[in-house]
Amino acid sequence: MTAEETENKSLDELQIEQLEHSDPHRTEQYKSISKGEKLVSIQNLSMVYKTDESETVAIQDFNLDVMKGELVSIIGPSGCGKTTILRAIAGLLKPTGGRIMIGNKECIGSGPDRSMVFQDFALFPWRSVRKNVEFGLEIAGVPKEERKERAMRYLKAVGLENFANSRVHELSGGMKQRVGIARAMITKPDVILMDEPFGSLDAQTRNIMQASLVNMLAKTDTTVIFVTHSVDEAVYLSDRIVVLTKRPAHIKEIVKVPWLRPRDRSSPECTAMRKEILGELEKENVMN
Amino acid sequence: MYQFKYDKHNKYHRAVQQTAIVIVSLVIFVEAWWVLSILANTPAVPTPGETWDALVNLVNNGDTVTDISLWSYIGASLGTFLKGFLLALLVAVPLGLILGTFNTLNEFATPIIEILRPIAPIAWAPILILAINYTIGPILVVFIGIFFPLLTNVVFGVSKIDSSLLDAAKTLGASRAQIFVKVMVPSTVPYIMNGVKVGLGIGWMCIVAAELYAPTLAGIGYFLSEQATLGYWPGAFAAIIVIAVLGLLTTGVAEYVHKFIAKRMGMDV
Ligand SMILES: Nc1ncnc2c1ncn2[C@@H]1O[C@H](COP(=O)(O)OP(=O)(O)O)[C@@H](O)[C@H]1O
Ligand SMILES: [Mg+2]
Repeated sequence: MTAEETENKSLDELQIEQLEHSDPHRTEQYKSISKGEKLVSIQNLSMVYKTDESETVAIQDFNLDVMKGELVSIIGPSGCGKTTILRAIAGLLKPTGGRIMIGNKECIGSGPDRSMVFQDFALFPWRSVRKNVEFGLEIAGVPKEERKERAMRYLKAVGLENFANSRVHELSGGMKQRVGIARAMITKPDVILMDEPFGSLDAQTRNIMQASLVNMLAKTDTTVIFVTHSVDEAVYLSDRIVVLTKRPAHIKEIVKVPWLRPRDRSSPECTAMRKEILGELEKENVMN
Repeated sequence: MYQFKYDKHNKYHRAVQQTAIVIVSLVIFVEAWWVLSILANTPAVPTPGETWDALVNLVNNGDTVTDISLWSYIGASLGTFLKGFLLALLVAVPLGLILGTFNTLNEFATPIIEILRPIAPIAWAPILILAINYTIGPILVVFIGIFFPLLTNVVFGVSKIDSSLLDAAKTLGASRAQIFVKVMVPSTVPYIMNGVKVGLGIGWMCIVAAELYAPTLAGIGYFLSEQATLGYWPGAFAAIIVIAVLGLLTTGVAEYVHKFIAKRMGMDV
């Protein structure tokens, strides 16, 4: 099956396929991750926020490499600097020290090679659903017809093809974030940065969203850096989980999650891993 | 026997009730006017009946002194008003977007704006009309009246732009110019419309006042001052009613357009 055909499948078809556990592409992808082709490299990143009264050291000498096609989640106490790391990678913040490389190119400023999915969705309320998804293509100067056709394909992939002409405020939270994800993926970025993307959704919607994210990613070799405060989410989604200390964030531990997706949340392995990571985070909160 | 029961959740019941209240309110207003005009017992306060007759005469025969029709008076006033309004829109919106974006420029402009803003626009009328001319002067008075509320609203609108929308556009590769056109301008449209709404009300007050100074400009304000000068009080009152109705229509249209656009832009009003 070509990538084109996969992209044209509806969400239901994809979910059935996902349950069958047999997509060779996904296995292929997993192999390439373990082979290790480094894509994102965060080197000695530091970020100090200065205000009139105070200086906050949010990040100090932070290092992390992310492989191509990998989904790495970052988890840590609230206020430890997770958003700061993500915004620095996105080029929305200029780090006070260190640098961030994508391949062998240093990232300075933002660019369509790194797109972002926001916790508050950040959709343009005056645009229709389809026009929101098209935004990045419009910026890149893609012709109107092609834009429309590609946007419809991505809307189909997130199960919203019937809402193309709806206005954003008519959608539920979960649907809004599907639009956010489609908008971030349509430009085929090297990395997608997600800052607690499902944080404002209810538990059930959250689980559905996680499953469809797994689906969508299986069809591409997109690299994802995923900030979350949910251990369950991290274990369900990630290839690796980066556990951070309190501010300024250091890496406390990197946990490899070696199982193929989709995963069974309630399996003994997953449960054990959740327990272990929760324990680490607990220690972080208890200490001083 | 059929018993009518008012249901506040029925929109027809509500509409009928509201209409009834408006009618009662207007009737009481007219009655009070009538009583006052009899008590005042001076030709300068005509009764509603006399005013109505003058109004009918004005609509049918126009200004019998100058032989100009009511419609051409109204046309002249609206023309001046529209020109002043468009000029204000063309200047205040881009300026507001720029001042809202560049902090230093805003800090520089604020003292100047704050000195000029509290001056009643009508205070400029004698200067602008007598020093420049009868056509451009009133346009500039209307311009000043609309300009300041519009500018303040646009600057405020820029400060209210959702920063995560700017971030989203940046991460999708938008340049500064693209962010300006595709995010900042649409974000501020509801605020621009609010400024327009406020500005139209003030602008309408300005046009009539400005026309009082302009003896050769055939606007409705001119007609009002002519009638008053000649002591034709019912005619003067009829002019005031025309002014009130036009003012009501202008703000009504602005209110409707504001709601419509705010909804289109996905914003709450
Ligand atoms: N713009 C800012 N100015 C000052 N301090 C900030 C700013 N943004 C974040 N901080 C501080 O930096 C620290 C890390 O913030 P953040 O990266 O948002 O944490 P997290 O996403 O892990 O909750 C926090 O203590 C926060 O208060
Ligand atoms: Mg955060």
